[in-house]
Parts: sequence; C-alpha cells; structure tokens
Amino acid sequence: MGQQIVNGLFLGSIYALFALGYTLVFGVLDILNLAHQAVFMLCAYVALLLVLHLHLPMFVAFPVAVAAGGLVGLAVERIAFRPLRGRSDSNISGLISSIAMATILEALALQLFGPDVERFPFGVVPDRTLHLGDAVVSELQVVIIAIALGMLAVLTFVLKRTVLGRRIRAVAESPTAARVLGVNVDRVIAASFFVSSALGAAAGVLFGLAFNSVSPDMGRTVELKGLAVIILGGMGSMPGAAIAGFALGLLEVFTVAKLGSSYRDAVAFGVLFLVLVFRPRGLLGAAALREA
Amino acid sequence: MSAESLRDLWLTYQSTVAFIGLNGLLALSVYTTLSCGQLSLAQAGFMALGAYASAVLTLHTQAPFPLVLLAGAAAPALVAIPLGLPVLRLKGVFLAIATIGFGEVIRIFFVNLDFTNGALGLVAIPQRTGLPVIYAALGGALFVLWRIRGSRAGYALEAIREDEPAARTMGIDASAYKLSMLVLGAALAGLAGALDAHFNFMVAPSNYSFGRVVDMLVYAVVGGTTVFYGPVLGAAFLTLLPEVLREVGSRVGLQPGPLRLFVNGLVLLLVILFLPNGIASLPGRLRRRRAGAHAA
Amino acid sequence: MRLPLLSLLAAAIAAGAAPAGAAETVKIGAVFSLTGNAAAYGAQQKAGVQLAVDELNKSGKLPGITLELVLEDDGTNPQQGISVFDRLINLNKVSAIIGPTLSTLAEAADPRAQAQKTPVVAVSNTKPNAITTIGDYIWRVSLTEAQVIPSAIAIAREKLGFKTAAILYGNDDAFTKAGFDVMKGSLEKSGVPILGIQTFATKDRDFNAQLTALKALKPDILFVSALVEQAGSIAVQARQLGYTGPIMGGNGFNSTKFIQLAGPAAEGVLVGTAWNRASQDPVNQAFIAAMKARGTDPDQFGAQAYTGVLVIADAIRLAGMKGGRDDIKAGFAKVKDLPTPLGKFSFLPNRDGNHAAAVQVVKGAKFEILQ
Repeated sequence: MGQQIVNGLFLGSIYALFALGYTLVFGVLDILNLAHQAVFMLCAYVALLLVLHLHLPMFVAFPVAVAAGGLVGLAVERIAFRPLRGRSDSNISGLISSIAMATILEALALQLFGPDVERFPFGVVPDRTLHLGDAVVSELQVVIIAIALGMLAVLTFVLKRTVLGRRIRAVAESPTAARVLGVNVDRVIAASFFVSSALGAAAGVLFGLAFNSVSPDMGRTVELKGLAVIILGGMGSMPGAAIAGFALGLLEVFTVAKLGSSYRDAVAFGVLFLVLVFRPRGLLGAAALREA
Repeated sequence: MSAESLRDLWLTYQSTVAFIGLNGLLALSVYTTLSCGQLSLAQAGFMALGAYASAVLTLHTQAPFPLVLLAGAAAPALVAIPLGLPVLRLKGVFLAIATIGFGEVIRIFFVNLDFTNGALGLVAIPQRTGLPVIYAALGGALFVLWRIRGSRAGYALEAIREDEPAARTMGIDASAYKLSMLVLGAALAGLAGALDAHFNFMVAPSNYSFGRVVDMLVYAVVGGTTVFYGPVLGAAFLTLLPEVLREVGSRVGLQPGPLRLFVNGLVLLLVILFLPNGIASLPGRLRRRRAGAHAA
Repeated sequence: MRLPLLSLLAAAIAAGAAPAGAAETVKIGAVFSLTGNAAAYGAQQKAGVQLAVDELNKSGKLPGITLELVLEDDGTNPQQGISVFDRLINLNKVSAIIGPTLSTLAEAADPRAQAQKTPVVAVSNTKPNAITTIGDYIWRVSLTEAQVIPSAIAIAREKLGFKTAAILYGNDDAFTKAGFDVMKGSLEKSGVPILGIQTFATKDRDFNAQLTALKALKPDILFVSALVEQAGSIAVQARQLGYTGPIMGGNGFNSTKFIQLAGPAAEGVLVGTAWNRASQDPVNQAFIAAMKARGTDPDQFGAQAYTGVLVIADAIRLAGMKGGRDDIKAGFAKVKDLPTPLGKFSFLPNRDGNHAAAVQVVKGAKFEILQ
C-alpha cells in the first residue's frame, strides 16, 4: 500500500511538471500547444546525447537540456504561433499549427535517432534505494519528486512576485489592455513559451531517467494524460495543474492495484469527461467563459 | 506501355486508390463539424464503432453487404447523440479535448472487450469492399454536402461558423445544427470504418488511435475547409504523397518513415500559415493574383 | 572455303555457350519492421537474410540461379505492410516473400499474398493456431509460442523448482497476448497456481503499479510476455522495486537489445528460445562467425531469418532448380531435415516449422543455454 502511494506520487510528479508548461501557455494565449510533447521528447534526447557523447555528468546535462527546451519553445512560438496572432480563429489554427510543429519535430527525431528505445547509461544517476516502512524508494525517485515540487515553487514565485510574472498575468487577462499599459506583448509571450517549454523539457529528461526509456514517440501518451490533468486542474491554473497531476498519478496507480491494469488509461479520460461535462473549469480554473 | 504492365501497375496501386477514397470520406467526416466552426476529434472512435459493428455483423450473421454498411454508419451516429448533447456546449479547444477523450475511451473500450478479442481485434473478414463501393459512398457524401451548402441549412451553418452568438440572436437553432453535423460526421466516419474493415481483412483498436484522427484533420485542413470538396483534395494529395516520396527518398537515402512524417508536418504548417483555406483555395488565389496583375 | 566453316563453328560454339552462362534471377521479397515498434527485431532479420542471400549466390549451391533480395519496410504499420506486399507481388514480381516481422502485421498482409498465389515464409510470427491457417501459400519457419513455451517452462521447473507464479503481459499486441495465453495454459496444465495477472499497453513506460501489485503476492517466479523495449524496462523496474525472484520471458526477450536495455537487471532472466546458440553444429557455428564478421552479434531473429532464405533455396532446388512461385510452394512440401543454424528443419503437415527448442539464461550480459 505504501509502495503504491510512492509509485503514484512519483508518476504524478512527472504529470504535474508536464502539465505546468501546458497550462501556462493556455493561460496566456488561450491556445493548446500540442507541440509541448515534442519538446518533452526532444530534450530527453538532448540530455541523452550530452551524457553519452560528451560524457557530461547529469547535473550539468539536465540544466543544459532544460535551457535547450526553452530555446526550442521560442522557435516554435516564432514560427508556428506568432504569425497566426491576428486571426479570428487563432485558437483552432494555433492548435493545428502546433500539431504541424510536433509532427516535424518528431520526424526530425526519427531521422536523427531512429525509432528504437534508448536508455541513459547505467550509473549516470546514483542507484541507492531507501526503505520507508514496506516501501522501496529509489534516490532518483525522491530527486524527481523534489525537482517537480521545486519547479512549481519557483514558477509560483515568478508569477506572483516578479515583474515578468506580473506582465505574464496581465497579458493572460487581456493582451490589448496590457499593450495599452506599455507591456511588450510579443516579448512576454515569447518569455512564457520559453518557461513553458523549459518545464516540458525538464519533465522529458526526468521521465527518460525515471522509466529508463527515451524514444521518438514517448510524448504521445503523456500528451493525452496531460490534457486530462490540465482540464482537471483548471486551464491556466499552475497550482491546479500540480494538484491534478499528483491526483491523476495516484488515481492511476490505485486503479491498477484494485481494478487491474486494463482500466488504467480509461481513468484519465473518464475524469476528463466528467470534469468537462459537470465542471468545465476544473478544480481551480477561473470561472470564465468556458461555455459557448 | 503494354497491357500487362498497365495491369500490374493497377494491381500495385489499387490499394492506394482505395485508400484515397476512404481517406476522403474520413476527411469529410471531420469537415462536417468544422463547417459550423466546431472542432470535433472523436472521429477515430466513430470509425472504430462503425468498423466493429459491421465486422461483427459480417462474421456472425449472413447480413448482405448494404445492410452491414448501413449498420456501420448508424452505430456511431446513434452514439453521437448522447455524446453531443452535453459536449457541444463547450467552446473551441474544450470541445476538441472532450472529443479527443471520447475517442480514446472508445479505443480503450475495444481493447478490453473480450467478445472482439480485445487488442487483437477481428481478423479474416472477407473482402467485400471494392473500389466502386468506396467511390459510390464518397460520391454520395459529396452530393449530400453539396446539397446542404446551397440550401438554407448551409447558410445557417455558415452563420454559426462566423459568429455563433449573433446567429442565435437571428433565431438560428445553433445547437440543433451543431448536433446534426456531429451525427452526420459520425455516420461518415462509421461508413468509412465499415468499408475499411472489409477491405483490410481486419479491425484492431490500434487503427483507431488519436493519431488517426489527427491524420483526418490534416487531410481536411490541407485540402481546405471552406468548400465541401476541399477535404477530399487534401486526402488525395496526402495519400499520394508518401508513394511519391518513397521513390524520391530511396534515391536520396532518407528513411521513408521520417520523410513522410516530415513532409506531412511541413505541408500542414505551410498551409496553415500561408494558405489557410487549403489547396482548394489555390485556383481562386492565382486567379485573383493574375487579375491584380492585369488591373495595374 | 575454310572461313565460313570457321565462323559457322564459332557461331555454333557461341550458341552452345550462351544458355549455360545465362543466370536466371529469382527475386525474393523481404518485408521487415525496419522502423516502428518492432525495429529491433527487423534490424537482425535484415542482416540475416542479406548474409544468407550473399552466401548462397557465392556458394554455387543453386547453379544457374541468382537470388536477388528486395527489401522493404513495413513500418510496424498494417496499412504500410499491405501496400508493400502489393508492390512486391505486382511491381517487383517476387517469387516469394519473407516476413513480416510481427504476427499482427502478418494477419493483415498475408491474406493478400495468399489471394495472389505468392508464397510467404514467416520467420518471426509466433502466434499459434494462426498465420499458416490463412492459406496453403503461407509457411512458417519460426516455432510458435505453443511449441516453445511449454517445453521451456518444463525445463525451468525442473531446474528451479518453482511452486507458484504470476504473469505480466501486454494485452494490445497479437504476439504478446498469444504468448500470455500459452503461458497461462501451460502453467495451469502443470498444476502451478497463478497468483496474479496484470496487463500493460505497448506504449506504457511505467510498470511500477503492476509490478508492486504482483510482488505483494509473493510468487516464486514472474512470467512476462512483452516486446523487447518494454521487457527491458520491466526487468529494471522489477529489480528496483526489490523483487529478487526469477523472471522468465516470452519470445520478445530473445533479442540482444533486451540485455542492452535492461543492463544489470537482465542477469539471470530466463527465455525459451527457438535458437540454441550454444549448439556446436557446424552450420550454426559458421552462421555465428559470418554474422559477427559483418558486425552483427546474431540473435534468434537473425538466425530464423537466415534460415528462411535457406529454406526457400532448398525449395528451389527440390523443385528442380525452378524459381517460380508455385515451384517454391511445391518445393516447401519436400523440405526435410535441412541443416540450418536452428537445427535440422522440416515443415509439419500444417506448414508450421519443426525443430527442437531450448531455454536460455542471461549470464554476464550474454545469452547462454540453461544447464
């Protein structure tokens, strides 16, 4: 029982980290960025390459991969989202544009790395395990949960206490009003993408380490679960995404333990559905115009 | 070219021609809801329902093929109604997400359904689909959509797409129209699924994943969603492209898989950025540009 | 008037020499998963068939015939597999097709070959009571799970003496599900109680929940039916969770990629195998050496693919050095005790393959036969 809680928190921390970036972009731009999972995947590869070929230690490779993710995010914003800014159907065309970017990035990964599953070399992270009661927790798992919580804390701080954070929130409220107030909207949006993709990249590297597999299609299932998380948490809400991420992780694991693994994926979508039908704004989302 | 080599060429590519027809139907199924401004991505699930319903009928009863196809179209259409009622209230991206979720739930349902062998699916389905049936179905769908376009319903849909609140104030029952389009789209996807199942000998849940409906969306968008025949153009173009690329790619030394994916993504990106109304709008644009050049 | 006589003589000699020198080209199509989920197996199979074709062409075992290999990728995608089969049959006009890699794809694509009367040799499809049931043009070299697993379990039981078991399997792939069915049936028949069964999907990466649930039941041995990529993660996660008991895998584990992915966790894992790599049979040793010389450490998939080509070549020979589709089909029926790296090979009356199986264990990051 204790072990399953550990499993759930661990899985949940990755979902939470992934969802944070997802929901940030939605909060700011009202667009679902389906290229997020491609950045997730690509930066796992970046970290892998840094470790395998440049023999960098993980605590160097990790921030480098995260920064790389931010840069890719900037590129994606510039290429696929900014040109669509003025259009009336920009959230649907933005969605489609992000699908196009995701496909291109995945194709790039396939061509460069091949379709096989790769893993980080053994020993790149310490292998020790701790025993809490009857549960076994590896040092890696503790680190991952800590990083997820840490990034959430940093993000909340940035959004609440820094100038950039205030600007981001202003643009999220109303880009026109923000512009009138002298905010450089383009810069702020670019910054949000940088942060969002950096978070996605972090999630990707940690996922690759946690489950010892990196492959071009690793983003696909996480992307769909991520949708359930941000809907449950409330679109645009950081704490919502974090809570929902952990909640989904625990829910999935206990579904497996009690009902059997066949229902594992159905749980995420069942939750998604129920939330959208009965409480579209999710746990902590703003009660804005979510209904047509 | 001799008669025999023509015949061989035909045999080699007949499945491609069939897939163009099927993909055209699928693209149209996404288009129906797009035409009134709704992005529904549940079509892979509808396709699965149609495929399984028709396959089960064929394998367990002596039902004639037309009846089987009818069942394939009807099953998802019926399911679309209780789905649409709560879900069509949602705006834009939320509708998209809800329908994505629904599609996945259907897939997972079939993965766990022992009656249809779960993830292994049903095999050895007799091949009852031929090119004539596929193109008859496609032609029928195009005809229906063509008739809708010019009618009052067509104008209503257009109005809803442009500005739904305004359309409502004008007395248009937006909810009824949106639901009808969802049901029509479901029927088309189900029909395509039934045809596909009887062409490819098998149905399996892995054929009806999220990736599948993304493909359908890409066909529709690349072809153009402002005219009813646009999606079919997109389907034809993107189904032929991998065949052409295979020849090119092997000469240049690139892997066919990534190349096809890359070109799909690139085409979609270029279309959405520079040609938002798809391939179908190309002639109009060229005409305008030429007229503009003359008007100087 | 000697000149005309000389030229007549020369013409006669030239006319006589021409047919003897002309080689007939027999095209063999090979469809493997070179990309997609099953790509690890496809890479081995590609190496295996290329080696076999090159060796046969050089060996002179088929006088007057040159084998030409036409290799295609099915992308682990059924639609692509069907298209590729159509091309090979109608455009390239191959005499036979080897492959495809996965049973799921074979069930989609083989019917087209059967309908167009082209022989197919399955070299890695292991789903029992299927594949060869599609029709009389479909033949199989790979042993089915139903042929390998029961004897592997019996051998393992004899050596390890386990009393209870648990099973973890992938429920969305034809092959892993078939493996599970056989494992379950075989354990039940031997009277071994199955304490728990858990499933996963091919795309899953996190198996902690399932493994924790099974470990809590304290089984003596864990059976896993998975494709190689999940197999690696499962082994690692099981060991990390503190499960120290033996693990036995199905055919998906039979790849050197498994050892590479699982690292230290692979030690001691057992796998039933259709290929006894430790066999001292000269045909087997020559095969291993030749593959290594080409830079590939062979595994079961490579050995089976190589054997597939040998079988086709033998069929051509038995049909009277004729390489047409129906010649090869007729030749298959006559193949008996053909020496291959898998052992002496024959077809069963139902066109499935027949040769002895074994159990491997991973020791020192290599597969060894369980003694």
